[in-house]
Amino acid sequence: MKTIKIAHLYYDLMNLYGESGNILALKQALANQKVKCDVDLLTVDSKINWNKYDIFYMGMGTEDNQECVRESIIKYREEIAKNIKKKTFIMTGNAYELFGSTINGKEALGIFPFKSKTIRNRIVGEQFAKTYFLKDIVIGFQNRGSINNNEKNHLFEIIQGNGNNQGSINEGIHINNFYGSYLLGPLLIRNPHLTDYIIKNILDSYNYPYKEIKNTPDYQSYHEYLKNFYHE
Amino acid sequence: MKERLAILVNRLIYFICRLLRPILKKDGSVTPGYYAAKIDNHILDKLEYPQLIIGITGSSGKGSTTSLVAHILENNDYKVLWNKNGSNLFNAAVTLILNHTSILTKKIKADVLLLELDESFIKQIFNKVKLTHLVITNVTRDQPARNGHVDIIFKKIADAIDNDTHIIINADDPIVARFKLFHKGNITTYGMGKTAYSLTEPLSNTIDAAYCPACHAKLVYSYYHYGHIGNYKCPKCSFKRGKVDYEAKDLDLDKQFMTINKAIVHLNKNVFFAAYYTLAAFAIAHVIGISTEDIQRELNEHVLEAKRMKKYKLDDRDVEMLESKNENALSYLQSINYIRHQPNKKTIVMGFENVSRRYRYNDLSWLYDVDFELLDDPNISKIFLIGRFKYDVYTRLMYANINKDKIILVDDLHDLISLIRQKSKGTIYTMVCFDMTAILKKLLNEVQNEDN
Repeated sequence: MKTIKIAHLYYDLMNLYGESGNILALKQALANQKVKCDVDLLTVDSKINWNKYDIFYMGMGTEDNQECVRESIIKYREEIAKNIKKKTFIMTGNAYELFGSTINGKEALGIFPFKSKTIRNRIVGEQFAKTYFLKDIVIGFQNRGSINNNEKNHLFEIIQGNGNNQGSINEGIHINNFYGSYLLGPLLIRNPHLTDYIIKNILDSYNYPYKEIKNTPDYQSYHEYLKNFYHE
Repeated sequence: MKERLAILVNRLIYFICRLLRPILKKDGSVTPGYYAAKIDNHILDKLEYPQLIIGITGSSGKGSTTSLVAHILENNDYKVLWNKNGSNLFNAAVTLILNHTSILTKKIKADVLLLELDESFIKQIFNKVKLTHLVITNVTRDQPARNGHVDIIFKKIADAIDNDTHIIINADDPIVARFKLFHKGNITTYGMGKTAYSLTEPLSNTIDAAYCPACHAKLVYSYYHYGHIGNYKCPKCSFKRGKVDYEAKDLDLDKQFMTINKAIVHLNKNVFFAAYYTLAAFAIAHVIGISTEDIQRELNEHVLEAKRMKKYKLDDRDVEMLESKNENALSYLQSINYIRHQPNKKTIVMGFENVSRRYRYNDLSWLYDVDFELLDDPNISKIFLIGRFKYDVYTRLMYANINKDKIILVDDLHDLISLIRQKSKGTIYTMVCFDMTAILKKLLNEVQNEDN
């Protein structure tokens, strides 16, 4: 099996709320499958080669930092569009807003048609959600100051918490191998079944066998949390 | 009339709270203010204030700075009204101030009003009457569910003051130093020079304020003290830590001293953060006109006893209880660094039953902002994990590459003491937040009573 290459995008700007934990989760999930991986830390002064990587990850940032990234990432629009179906994109927190058409009226990457805007009162709270491709529910936390109007191709359906828009139960966006969600946690650590699903898809695309491993601390924490806090 | 009634009610309820303290289990530091504000919500705008109104705010170190400033001022013959008990929210401020306000003249009976202030409540407390001085210690990640993030905390502080407020800022913190870009009032800066403990690389990539607030270029650091605190410079514009008005140098934690603008001062604790609160206290005291010699006397001769952790014993082993605030990576980092610098065999107890005392959210993301990787220390014999979230903490420690064999998950807290006795060696450090510290103290007391 080849070495999986991960790009940790704008790692020093989009790093609120323990988001770098998601990279740890990807590395561990690959190590569990005996697959090697490299992580490159990329930011404003890097020249990002979008053909080079298998996985692109970006986390949550402050509103000001998101704006810094918007100014920087926009020049890669065409290269991103070319790779969007081929590669895996995992964008947590407000990172995925950058792939919509606008943020507060300012031009974003325009890969997807939705629009995002900041709001006065932050949305904070516990999240429970489900999705068609996973048997078990997804857990997480939200702490964000923005909303978007994406109602199609959502990643999650909210059981408890908030969707993309206030009052909506549709959360995030999922098209091909693009996974965008406001859920924090870190999402991939607290939901090992989601991480494994994403990794399995990547390994499948290389015809590399995937072995189910569920006796990890992540799964233990996940089940313990549901036992304590999730009541149907 | 309404104001006088509010002051009176505050006094009465305070009196009742103190009288019925054993029954009500309230110390009267918050409730009186709650009712007084119900009578007149703008009561704090209508009083006669002393000439000096000093606030001390920031994500950490504000309590220790406030007590040290009170100590220096009181011993220099100022009558200081200050929040000794650390209650720093709105109702607590109302209670404290009205308890010391004349009902007749509405005059606050003090030369200086000195308040440790929660960043989110400065504006509410000082709505019309503004602070004459505000010390800002640092702005770091703290209770994100309540505070959002560092930019929001910064804006809250900035919105609460105007140009009449003289700010005394920690210039080592580039978030605090943003005040230099727009505050038109007086600014005094303080900072720590490079020390033997400085780092040339940040501990982790998770650093706030990596970029220049003025031009968005990546800041270049010549050294870091911790987190994003250090000596930084923008490569493109003029934003930088630069020269400070009060510079601490020659820090020696073992001998507990440093110099501030060449004056030797004693530190009342052998931890890095003591250097910062001593420096901040020195700066504000000097700014309001106390001489270097008079400050030195209060730091070096009449030493204020630092808040010590209470030391307990388990058999012949020492137990040190390090309060570590959840949702505050820096608070954990302080505890971790302290433990790392102890020379002997160590045992650690960690974990929590609830994330917060204030709200019921189970936000666990902050665990990944804490540098638990530093606990990979051969002198650590065992780490005991307790509380409802022990599996989440366990997962975090696995990701931090801590040896699995060193970790023991304790399902029933009643087994903790016997497990520690059987399976671990060395000094016991508890690294937990307030609620859990109280529970552990109770367990240790029970053991001591049994043995006697």
